Amino acid sequence: MTTATSSLHTFGRGGIHPGPHKEATASREIEDLPTPSEVVLPLLQHLGEPAEPCVKKGEMVRRGQKIAEGGKTGVPLHAPISGKIKPVDKRPHPTMAIAMSLAIGANVDAGPELEFPEDPEWRNLPLEESLSRVREAGIVGLGGAAFPTWRKLEFARAAKVDLLVMNGAECEPYLTSDYRVMLAYPTEIVEGSVLIAKIAGAKKVLIGVESDKPDAIEAIGKAAAALTDRSIPVEVVPCVARYPQGAEKQLVFAVSGRTVPARQLPSAVGVLVQNVATAQAVYDALRYRKPLLDRILTVTGPGIVQPRNVRAPLGASLADIVEFCGGIKPETHRMVAGGPMMGRSLPRLDVPLIKGMNGLVMLTGRGPLEDGFGACIRCGRCLDACPLGLEPDQVSVRVEVGRTLDCEPHGALDCYECGCCSYVCPSSRPLVQFMQVAKSALRRAAATRSAS
Amino acid sequence: MSETHPTFVLSPGPHLHTEESTSKIMWWVNGSLAPAALWGVFVFGINAAFVILASIAGAVLTEFVSQKALGRRPTLMDGSAVCTGLLLALTVNPNLPAWQAFLGSMFAIGLGKMIFGGLGFNLFNPALLGRAFLMATFPLNMTSGWATPRPWFGVPLDAVTTATPLAVLKEQGFEAAVKLVSSPVGLWNALALGFRPGSIGEVSLLLVAIGGAALLARRIITLAIPLSVLAGVALSTLHTGVPMLHLMSGGFWIGAFYMATDYVTSPSTTRAQIAFGLMIGLLTGMIRVYGGYPEGICYAILIANAMAPALDLWFRPKRTAIAGSPS
Repeated sequence: MTTATSSLHTFGRGGIHPGPHKEATASREIEDLPTPSEVVLPLLQHLGEPAEPCVKKGEMVRRGQKIAEGGKTGVPLHAPISGKIKPVDKRPHPTMAIAMSLAIGANVDAGPELEFPEDPEWRNLPLEESLSRVREAGIVGLGGAAFPTWRKLEFARAAKVDLLVMNGAECEPYLTSDYRVMLAYPTEIVEGSVLIAKIAGAKKVLIGVESDKPDAIEAIGKAAAALTDRSIPVEVVPCVARYPQGAEKQLVFAVSGRTVPARQLPSAVGVLVQNVATAQAVYDALRYRKPLLDRILTVTGPGIVQPRNVRAPLGASLADIVEFCGGIKPETHRMVAGGPMMGRSLPRLDVPLIKGMNGLVMLTGRGPLEDGFGACIRCGRCLDACPLGLEPDQVSVRVEVGRTLDCEPHGALDCYECGCCSYVCPSSRPLVQFMQVAKSALRRAAATRSAS
Repeated sequence: MSETHPTFVLSPGPHLHTEESTSKIMWWVNGSLAPAALWGVFVFGINAAFVILASIAGAVLTEFVSQKALGRRPTLMDGSAVCTGLLLALTVNPNLPAWQAFLGSMFAIGLGKMIFGGLGFNLFNPALLGRAFLMATFPLNMTSGWATPRPWFGVPLDAVTTATPLAVLKEQGFEAAVKLVSSPVGLWNALALGFRPGSIGEVSLLLVAIGGAALLARRIITLAIPLSVLAGVALSTLHTGVPMLHLMSGGFWIGAFYMATDYVTSPSTTRAQIAFGLMIGLLTGMIRVYGGYPEGICYAILIANAMAPALDLWFRPKRTAIAGSPS
């Protein structure tokens, strides 16, 4: 091992090195999608209750205006474009097939974007005000999970976390949106991180970035050195480029050495993890009261004509976004929302961009499972690949014969489905899905036990 | 509008997959055995080729017929039946009648593999079960009448050498074993290059080692099992004073690098593999020194195979985080 790699941080066992495939978009700046003619905004695009519309059909709204309330557990929605409200109706949803959605038809008569003047007191807001601005801005975790950020911050504060870990690892192959955000908005990310740390009560910020993005490490490092507010130390931690470096538990261990217990959140060891793109959104919300209106995503893969990093208004049709990237090649076979390791494959393009979608990867060639899968040959590759030390092989053979309830000792409940095991399996076994089957059966059984 | 949009195939994640596959692995194993097999034919003559071909044919035909009979998808192209047939041939006497090799591989695949459910489900190494079957059925052909190696570049070998070095070591002692193989090319040369009596594939340690190294370099196997087998054999033969002869002879190398590392019948975690390898090594030495057979690794591996599933449950991977216990 060279000194260069030994100075880098990383997690313990397991992990894989899939080809990064990031070269197609890594050097491309973020480009704006031209305002689409229509946006569709599902009322539920986060974890929590659906948003409640607060505008009427036919009403003119300006970009930035609130159009739905967040309720007790959710977040509000805002108009990403100026235009006329169309009736709330069931419309295609990327992951739920069909869902109640607001829609806005672009209309110049609606007026320009709302103005978001700076609040000079933005650094010294009271806690309640900060949280309320995060909540009112409709911010959710932009790394993909889409959990309302205000709730996560409340939990973190209640759990008395002392450390904020910012996730700039972007370990998913193909994706470069976080990387481009780090290059374009390093100051916003660092300032936003400090704001998040203050809300959560954390005393320190560690920003984990994989070492294959040296310019992002440098940009964030410079921004951290230039901070005027020195009350909370901010440090960039270069990490080994290795999947799943950006998984919460692996990243927390890499940058802080703390081990998050299985089946628990990082708050169990005093840590809050946030994505770098989320920090930028929090910065906008606190300093300018600007809500989340756009999403920066990587549109890439062998099936796209012009791979790009795109900033698009939320609710823009994926078809419009793909069109902006030159369209798809005829051999495109699969489309993945998110990264190819943990993302979901989508069947069609006429669905809207939602808050949690950080990438769109167009893949050619047959999928891993399309030609079926073979028996476990007990090669042990999945055991070596699992970052948690679980036993996907033992779980899979038990699930195959219907012994799902015997899988608990082999780690079925601890699995967070990073996909390393399935990736390395030479028999192409759907090991993640076997884990899912065992996990849900075990949870059902536990629920039944506690109910009776 | 939606009609104009293309639709895509839905598939579960992850959406990327390694280039490695079971059939690639199997064909790599077969390919890495080819030099030793060809060398065996060169050293022992044409009957060795007949034995190899008959053994592969028996394995492939048996797999095909039983999959057809059971209504299963034929999987001949995955290379595993060829692998079993080839491995069996490499562990038998080059003078074995070809039809006996054919029968042996039929047993290996039929009762060693397909009856358990096919690839991945067998408890014992099929090739070694086939060999054990041949030892029980045709003991004379398996243990005597060993082929005489071709002359070492014009220098004829002693024509009466019809026993393997290990057999001579067992019956007549170290001096006789050395005498058997040391002329005219020298003891270690004979063992390394293969100009000495032995099974088709085991005679040239050099070629087996090169094949094993290819599998190591390709990360198909690791050193955990071979090294611990070696350690076990060395430990259990140390008191005889000739551990080197044990380590450099017999099917030890094929056994350690190809048979004991068979994925299906060996444990999967490194610690279990070390226990498994040591068990094989110790049993091999005990059989060679105290047992009735000059060669012991075949039975040692078969015995250890039975332990593999249990070893996997005894030596489980270490969890990086345990539920409910903050560190």
